[in-house]
Amino acid sequence: MALQRLSFRLRQTVTHVRSLHTSGCGQQQAAEAVESEPEPLSVFRTRENDPACHSEQHMGQYYTLPSTHIRTLFPHGLPGRYQQQLKTFNEACMMVRKPSLEVISYLKKTDFSKPSLRYLFYGLNGTGKTMSLCHTVHYCYTQGWLVLHVPDAHIWMKNCKELMPSSYNDTRFDQPLQASEWLRNFRITNEPFLSKIKTKQRYVWTKRESTEEGSLLGQLVDQGISRVKTSSDVVGAVLKELRLQSGQPESDFRMAVAVDGVNGLWGRSTIKKKDKSPVESDELTLVYNLKKLLTKDWTGGAIITTLSQTGSLYTSKFDYLPQELLGERGFDSMDPFLPVSVPNYSEKEFESCYLYWLDRQWLQHPLSRTEEGKKEIIFLCNRNPSLMDRVCASL
Amino acid sequence: MASHTSKAFLSLGRINVSGVGLQKSLSRATYATGVSTHTGGGNKGHPDRGGQRQGFIKKQRRTSGEPRTAKMAVDQDWMSVYPTATPFRPSAVPLPVRMGYPMKGGVPPEKMGNLELMKIPNFLHLTPVAIRKHCEALKSFCTEWPSALDTDAQCDEHFPVKVESTDYLSAAPSLRNPSARVVHLRVKLSSLNLDDHARKKMLNLVGERYCKDTDILTITAERCPLRKQNHEYAMYLLTVLYHESWKTEAWEAEKTVADMEDYSWEESPSQKNILSMLIRMKVAGEGEEEEVREQLLGRKEVQEYKNSVVRLRNEGESESTILQYKEAVKKVLNL
Repeated sequence: MALQRLSFRLRQTVTHVRSLHTSGCGQQQAAEAVESEPEPLSVFRTRENDPACHSEQHMGQYYTLPSTHIRTLFPHGLPGRYQQQLKTFNEACMMVRKPSLEVISYLKKTDFSKPSLRYLFYGLNGTGKTMSLCHTVHYCYTQGWLVLHVPDAHIWMKNCKELMPSSYNDTRFDQPLQASEWLRNFRITNEPFLSKIKTKQRYVWTKRESTEEGSLLGQLVDQGISRVKTSSDVVGAVLKELRLQSGQPESDFRMAVAVDGVNGLWGRSTIKKKDKSPVESDELTLVYNLKKLLTKDWTGGAIITTLSQTGSLYTSKFDYLPQELLGERGFDSMDPFLPVSVPNYSEKEFESCYLYWLDRQWLQHPLSRTEEGKKEIIFLCNRNPSLMDRVCASL
Repeated sequence: MASHTSKAFLSLGRINVSGVGLQKSLSRATYATGVSTHTGGGNKGHPDRGGQRQGFIKKQRRTSGEPRTAKMAVDQDWMSVYPTATPFRPSAVPLPVRMGYPMKGGVPPEKMGNLELMKIPNFLHLTPVAIRKHCEALKSFCTEWPSALDTDAQCDEHFPVKVESTDYLSAAPSLRNPSARVVHLRVKLSSLNLDDHARKKMLNLVGERYCKDTDILTITAERCPLRKQNHEYAMYLLTVLYHESWKTEAWEAEKTVADMEDYSWEESPSQKNILSMLIRMKVAGEGEEEEVREQLLGRKEVQEYKNSVVRLRNEGESESTILQYKEAVKKVLNL
């Protein structure tokens, strides 16, 4: 398998210089780094690992995310193939690209007393929308914001194994499994905030259990994880609390709501009620509460979203523009938002990616190192990031 | 039956002789020379039994002369070779045409005796020269085109309603063709006097018969047996459509947003969103809600935003409309 071959190769890798504080692959690396420190970095890497400092000059270059950040920030956010790549290369390198730089620049300029703005990444399949979202979320995290990351809104709209009528509102339905999983991941990401934020309202779960006013948010989240039955309502409560408290003068946190595949929230669902009629999106507690968070009623943060055709239901494979995927209702709810286009790799970005693969010894085929091979790769994948990944995986 | 006595070899007139070969030869003899010559031609009635061909003399065949193509001059009058639609005659067409499937190792068969070339229709009778001569001959029967109608626009202006029907000619037992009754009536809606409501109602009534790109309404009438009847029916339909679209019925008041043809920004969720957003952002000064609304709506950025949304909805999405929307949003929200 490629993985085993690669890990073998990594031990013998003679790479370019890398920053000392990245997750190392072995003593060899450190030794190399020490003795060749004064040499300039390769073209495709940058030493600048703080997203806040990324700028135009870093475009097309790879920066490394610290592994501690990965573990806390992205327990569930990264694309599947990228996670496999993380394990293979033992480092998380992300490319700095224009769309995310644009959104980060807007985020830097946001006025937190005004209602939160909505940003939407859109583009063809496999051009890097989720990765741009993760880059932006990393920026928010390094700035100390509270990150509310919904990895894929489509998973709340399909394949539900347990659907219960909601205890809070009879007309709605709960999804305890998904809710408790999300709460768990939310807790991992936002540990520091959980002990700081206090609830403003009293929540009664059953006759004997209730969460008093003024208790910590962490308690609320724990309640939801332990009592799976009420987890959907806990999610609703958490979202409500955060929405009310964010942007208030006394709270000192900023909130970033990141939703991947936001078009799923207004799409059709494949979940069926007992009488085989499909469930509307507004009848699911999770979706209903999340939609409340996507409005512009609250201040002190930003909403960053992506469209996704790959997981969406009942949409054509070639749809990628916002209105096609969001539908009329979705567009009206998201309006006014800022659409940011994520295109395929440019020439420079392609070069960068190609050199990175070469550097990590991912391209084993001898012909892939030649000019001809490079042209062939360009021809096969048309500089589409995900296609390029799949094409090069077999080389 | 003629009596045998008339076997007399007289060259007087014709002698009706029946059946017996000998007499046939005699009869021929009477035509030709008057003397009976017992040539072997008598064997026509009596082919030799046993297939002895030794003494079989072929009947005389005229050898064919050289084909006409060999005698054709380069500047000949082609119309005299092919004055009308005629099947392909290889000896009369001086072109080295080949047609057919090339069998293994071969080429398409030549034109001599080529059934394929004879089967297909040919237009050898319609060379440009021939057509020019036809036109010249027909000119004396034609009236002149009115000089005032020299452009298409002039024609459209004076004759906005165009009626089209087809006549069919074929060499068949019957002259009639059922497709000849079809009548197409074409009119541009811009030449009709319709106001906004009437136009929308007309478009709803005609549905598929209207082409948006050319603004032409096409009414096809073919349900009556005669062309005249279909023509009258089409004119009737046009009249009725026009008058009905000007009327407003009571139930038209129930028209919903989903029925609207164009997207109108007023009272749309988009307008409400942007206004509430701007109010929250406290962009305008404090004041009465109505005044604030008016003020906000009058702003240039809001107008731009409105244009971009309307364009996005009406024209559909594309990269350019999305970019325009993005720019407008940036300006409105002061990014």
